[in-house]
Amino acid sequence: MSVAKILEIALRTGRVTRRYPYEPPLLTPEFRGAVKIDPSKCWGCGACVKVCPPNALTLKPAGKEATLEYFVGRCVFCGMCAEVCPAKAIEVTKEFELSATSLEDLKSRVIHRLARCSICGAPIWTEAELRTVVKSSPIAEEYYLVCPKCRKERFAKAAMLRLGAGSE
Amino acid sequence: MLEVSSVNIAKALRAIKKSVWVYHLNSGSCNACDIEVLDALTPYFDVERFGIKLVGSPRHADVILFTGPVTRESLPKVVKTIKAMPRPRLILVLGSCGIGGGIWWDTYSTLGGFKKLEEILRENGVEVDRVVYVPGCPVRPEAIIYGMLLLLGLVEQKSKRVEVVASEG
Amino acid sequence: MKSDSSLSTIVKALEEVGAFVEEVRDSEVYFRVTRENVRAAARALYSLGAYLKTCAGVDERELSGLFAVYYIFGLDDHGVDAVLRVLVPQDDPWTVSVVPDVPAADWCELEVRDLLGIDFRGRLTKRLVLPEDWPEGVYPLRKEFKYDEKPPRVLREELSEEVGIPVGPYHPALHEPEYFELYVEGERVVDVAYRGFHVHRGIEKLAESQRFTYKQVPFLAERICGICGFVHSSCYVMAVEKAAGIVVPERAEFIRSIVLEVERLHSHLLWLGVAAHLLGYDAGFMHAWRIREQVMVLAEYLTGSRKTYGINLIGGVRKDINTEKIDKVLKTITDLRKEFTELVKAMLAVPQIKSRASGTGVLTKAEARALSVVGPVARASGLYRDVRKDYPYLAYKRVSFKVPLYTEGDNLARLLVRVDEVFESIEIIKQLIDMLPGGSVVVEEYDIPSGRRAVAAIEAPRGEDVHFIITGVGRPYRWRVRAPTYQNIPALRAMLRGTPLADAPLTIASIDPCFSCTDRVTVLDVRSGRKSFIRLKQGV
Repeated sequence: MSVAKILEIALRTGRVTRRYPYEPPLLTPEFRGAVKIDPSKCWGCGACVKVCPPNALTLKPAGKEATLEYFVGRCVFCGMCAEVCPAKAIEVTKEFELSATSLEDLKSRVIHRLARCSICGAPIWTEAELRTVVKSSPIAEEYYLVCPKCRKERFAKAAMLRLGAGSE
Repeated sequence: MLEVSSVNIAKALRAIKKSVWVYHLNSGSCNACDIEVLDALTPYFDVERFGIKLVGSPRHADVILFTGPVTRESLPKVVKTIKAMPRPRLILVLGSCGIGGGIWWDTYSTLGGFKKLEEILRENGVEVDRVVYVPGCPVRPEAIIYGMLLLLGLVEQKSKRVEVVASEG
Repeated sequence: MKSDSSLSTIVKALEEVGAFVEEVRDSEVYFRVTRENVRAAARALYSLGAYLKTCAGVDERELSGLFAVYYIFGLDDHGVDAVLRVLVPQDDPWTVSVVPDVPAADWCELEVRDLLGIDFRGRLTKRLVLPEDWPEGVYPLRKEFKYDEKPPRVLREELSEEVGIPVGPYHPALHEPEYFELYVEGERVVDVAYRGFHVHRGIEKLAESQRFTYKQVPFLAERICGICGFVHSSCYVMAVEKAAGIVVPERAEFIRSIVLEVERLHSHLLWLGVAAHLLGYDAGFMHAWRIREQVMVLAEYLTGSRKTYGINLIGGVRKDINTEKIDKVLKTITDLRKEFTELVKAMLAVPQIKSRASGTGVLTKAEARALSVVGPVARASGLYRDVRKDYPYLAYKRVSFKVPLYTEGDNLARLLVRVDEVFESIEIIKQLIDMLPGGSVVVEEYDIPSGRRAVAAIEAPRGEDVHFIITGVGRPYRWRVRAPTYQNIPALRAMLRGTPLADAPLTIASIDPCFSCTDRVTVLDVRSGRKSFIRLKQGV
């Protein structure tokens, strides 16, 4: 009797199985998969790195370059990076077929060249970020190519000079 | 247990291709991946289509489905479990916790990913023959199926290491 | 607060035993009490009908030079939280235990002892939360401990070696890594030992560390548990919003409530399937999960992820609901209602289900009360407890629904409570969709002052989930999570005593245990082969 009841349900329902991978997966349009960084848009500002809860995104300077690395093997697919990106360089894709046999295959990197301070030579920001800033608000090279520390020193020196001149 | 020094993985894969027995090993995950593993067995995904069957002991397992960031408390038991598995040891590492330690990758009570576990296994003389990493948080049932097919060599790997220099403007 | 008289009664009763009001905020009253008087104060509160929600140890040395232990009591009838704050000097860290009067405090006191190094007098103490190889005298929740420190291992003898048993221990190992050791005489269970906390991941400490900010913690909170994650993230944001006085747009409150109910649907269907499986009724398991899949698809459509939804922000939610989504919700719950009614009918018509579930794993009302159990377990034992009614939050004050109540306290009662709740949830979602207000879904501008305290509670699928927060600069100063299972596991001892061994797996599952919540740290099924085990969710 009771067996018949569940049989009845089963017969009426029929097959529900998605024959993935031979049929499309059960995805909805809202699904958040891996993110993709567009290297032609990325400035390397690091906003995404700051907001990423599991540190799947990292920005590491090394010598003349800074590398933005996305390790999908630690990503929690929250999509916050795409929300905060000022350059709209990060896109949340629907990609979930991410399996790989080595950890290296799960990493994608965008390499940025670093601009250097014209006085002390310390790396200040990435060249891409520099170009973007200059494009939106034209400023003189002597400002944007100087690191904050040197700028402070230069300002202090100028102020001292002026003060000194006034007192004489 | 008799450890075979060289294992013919291709031969083993051929043998299990149509009947894969899996053992689910949770090393301290949040349960989401584990529920998705279960979900893969139920009508909508039905992994028995591929002959995949969950077993109750690592000694019967062809493949271990590994979830979780390996907590300190579970570590000795995880090592024991993987050791109990016969060669070749094939492991499907599921989810961000298993692969890279997840959101708690550097806390005091987690190990932080499968790479570190592999080192500890090696110190204990336990060899792992093949690992497939399946990212997701949690992994979708489809992603588990895809990872399994990759392990069996039935699909091509899509993920590739990418390294691009940012545009010159 | 429902009336002022309730407050004055509590205050008077507590002043008599030496506990004085420190602060009154919204529906929370904070009392300061000395460590000598805390037991009397806790006894007074318990006799006023309060339930223990949890206790939390806080390293307040940076603020006041002292440690503090907070005992959080809930007066369900009044909708008020009474919080006892016990100050403990740092050079002599001990306090008097309340366990003899309030058995429900057993675990949380041990947790304070493990993580903060405060000793409790007047009770048995043992290590509970930290791994067995953790060195003595290292306390993760003290501020000087860095969240990513890894103290060296200290090897101890394995626990399993010293198990003394009448007739061999049986381990019904679970799907998650936790151990129960059942001691049996013949076929009857005589006692239960539990060794859990395999899933201790150090979440509370991590949230206080430099790696996290207020805005990032919801994503961490969500990963406390993969089944009821949204409950945790909602509870965290509610606690922060309460502490900082942030007013959330109504529409966001409705969306959170809808998603919370969707989560309850999927969780109860999951449980029902597992229960059927444990009773050897796999057809029921498969059908329950088939129906559940529609709920998972709906959850993904509403939030962007099948689990760990990731839509909670402090001040609101990230995703709005549009007409297409509303249509999808309505269609899904209508189908679900039809299919679920049929399935339950078919399931309960199987004579073995009823006969195996009824009369087994009984938890009496008195035991349930003493242990302050929560959720379906409490409601199946005749305790009328539901956070949605007792402390209305989000949009629940706007909807009408029934709280299912059974008095038998057995496995069948717990099953029926969950079945009834599925129908109630469907009704709640319908009402919420009907009343969904317009407007924005998030407030962006807010400010979180430091040093504020708040308690927030949500009725999770498994019962009351409590988050206690002390705000800090940029991130929580202390964040304490009390998941429902934490409160319910101790009740298993009462349930299992005297039951036949064959009923043990179902009984353990009947509280819908969720160990990742409880431990905020691990679960494993590992067996040495030397002993016999019963697997709870074999093939699962």
